[in-house]
Amino acid sequence: MFDGLFAFGHAIAGMLSPMTILYALGATLIGLVIGALPGLTATMGVALMTTLTLKMTPNEAILVLICTYIGAIYGGSRSAILLNIPGTPASAASCLDGHALAKQGLAGRAMGIATSGSVVGTWIGMLCLALFTPVLGEMALKFGAYEFFWLAVFGVVISGNLTGTDPLKGWIAGFLGLFIAAIGQEGMYAYDRFTFGIHDLSGGIGLIPALVGAFGFAEVLTVMKDPPRKYIINTFDRVIPRIRDVLQYWRTVIRSGLIGTFMGIVPGVGEDVAAWSSYAAARRASKEKEKFGKGSVEGLMAAETGDNACIPGAVIPVLTLAVPGSAPAAVLLAAMLIHGVRPGPLIMIENPGFVYDVVAMMLIASFGILFYGLTLTKLLVKILLVPRTLIMPLIFVLCAVGAFAIASRMFDVYVMLGFGVIGFLLRLFNYPVAPLVLGIVLGDILDKNLRRGLVLSDGDLTPFITRPISAVMLAAILFIILMNVPPFRRRFDAASAAVKLRLRQLFGRTA
Amino acid sequence: MMQEDKPSPRADLWSGLAWIVLGLAIAWGGWTMDRLAYLNVSFYTIPGLVPMLLGFAIAFMGAVLLLRAVRAGALAPAATGGPVRLADHWRILTMLPLCLIFAVGLLGQGVVFWLAAALFIAAFVFIFEYQDRRAAGQRLRGAVVAVAYGVIVGLTIQYVFEDLFLLRLP
Repeated sequence: MFDGLFAFGHAIAGMLSPMTILYALGATLIGLVIGALPGLTATMGVALMTTLTLKMTPNEAILVLICTYIGAIYGGSRSAILLNIPGTPASAASCLDGHALAKQGLAGRAMGIATSGSVVGTWIGMLCLALFTPVLGEMALKFGAYEFFWLAVFGVVISGNLTGTDPLKGWIAGFLGLFIAAIGQEGMYAYDRFTFGIHDLSGGIGLIPALVGAFGFAEVLTVMKDPPRKYIINTFDRVIPRIRDVLQYWRTVIRSGLIGTFMGIVPGVGEDVAAWSSYAAARRASKEKEKFGKGSVEGLMAAETGDNACIPGAVIPVLTLAVPGSAPAAVLLAAMLIHGVRPGPLIMIENPGFVYDVVAMMLIASFGILFYGLTLTKLLVKILLVPRTLIMPLIFVLCAVGAFAIASRMFDVYVMLGFGVIGFLLRLFNYPVAPLVLGIVLGDILDKNLRRGLVLSDGDLTPFITRPISAVMLAAILFIILMNVPPFRRRFDAASAAVKLRLRQLFGRTA
Repeated sequence: MMQEDKPSPRADLWSGLAWIVLGLAIAWGGWTMDRLAYLNVSFYTIPGLVPMLLGFAIAFMGAVLLLRAVRAGALAPAATGGPVRLADHWRILTMLPLCLIFAVGLLGQGVVFWLAAALFIAAFVFIFEYQDRRAAGQRLRGAVVAVAYGVIVGLTIQYVFEDLFLLRLP
């Protein structure tokens, strides 16, 4: 306990140099602008910023990326409130009440609520990050080949189930990602798979160029395919966050923070699901249900707290299992590897201070969004009005530069182009892109651990289903899949209703 | 969650078919992959094992998608259309070649980066603002703005990446 506090204090002290603060403020601002501009996502922002951090020290680089990530998720609320267009998918839930408040002439108050919700959400997630990472790290040490194999399958299945509107398509995207990870030299015998004699493919598909393509170029194509829309921005009042809003809805804030963090921990799910889940839970528990969707302070607070709490949550599995909790966290994972940080079960043994460095970075980023939340409102409104015909070509040029700069080879630019077109087509056909990304990250884990496990058991599949953690994960995977099979779901719903009724009867309560 | 435009059952039918073909091709690639017998590699660790399993999984899910599309009426005569009508989208048909010309034809082909970026951005801005500029009788002004914006952005990116952050540009 005190070791953790000491390490956190040490991390904060180590980051209080003028240069670090400058980096943090700059990155938060860039993230905020990226998040505020409709069509530009946090994943794209973090992926593009990874390029700029290549010559920085690992801690500076991760600080810049975390600030960009937090800034972008917070920034999405600006366009959600002012334009009724979520700047990032994470802010879709904020449109409902945020824009309704703006239409009532309370856009400033809505932005203040978004600021306070985002800051408090980040703090709750940060606290969970500090508390749970060592515990989960310890648990991760018990993972063997069998557990890691199921973890990879579980990640793709849950991500496919929750990130889109059609789980089957999410799973297909996830398995496609797993296959893409198999391209190139495999890890056991250095054998070239599916390279078709192309030398550059031997190293596999780079995660950053693929992400820049799937989230950058694909976004440019998606945004530009439709004619431009005229934006109307309502006038707004004062933007200073009110402590009263947080105190009045403290239960909602804490609940949303915890839900957001939990959603972050679940592999590949991300901020949009966290925001919607927090919003739905707040609505269920609210005494003012009728206000939801019509300018509810509580609803907006829940959505904004949930999506920002998801960020530290998404970093927890990155640090403990090297499995990303969201798409931007996948970029963060790749950036950590590029900078020589080895996240995974051994992090609490090899580099425990880094976990608290990350906690300190989150705190600094939260102060960054608080600072800009109070000072930059008018400038951000002007940025929102910049025509997309000026922004999109700039983004595409940055995508090309970002893909190239990682390894200084044109092949990565072509990978970016390919993944841009794939990402665009997937969106067009209603396939979510997040499971694809998670699949690419988890592919290597699945491949190596399946084969290792089979060698260890000499081809016997029993350990894959009998070891406790494996059994739990397999049961969870089967349950998720079966819940999407209508006859099973009907029976399950009927059975759970019967159990609820029986329990009520047992405890003497009536419906 | 935000509701997106759902593709038609016909579109799902075609994508299901595409996944079946891709999945079977991957499985075939895994099956015919070298089993490294000269290294006495166990069957459980052959390089093609995982691609084979993934290929079958993708093909199976493609088949489920296809069956679902058929049950939703994909084979009915009226089930035409869908979200993919690229011929109707001049924007995408203009933009894709423009991006390809920049990324494949200009970058890494000896053209200095700022100039390549300036040419691409100027062309992009001019083309996509053309209708509005023409309606406002500002075609020449539109061209000047596009070129100026392209040059400024090209030079700025080159300066930031090469001089400030010491990174190589294509």
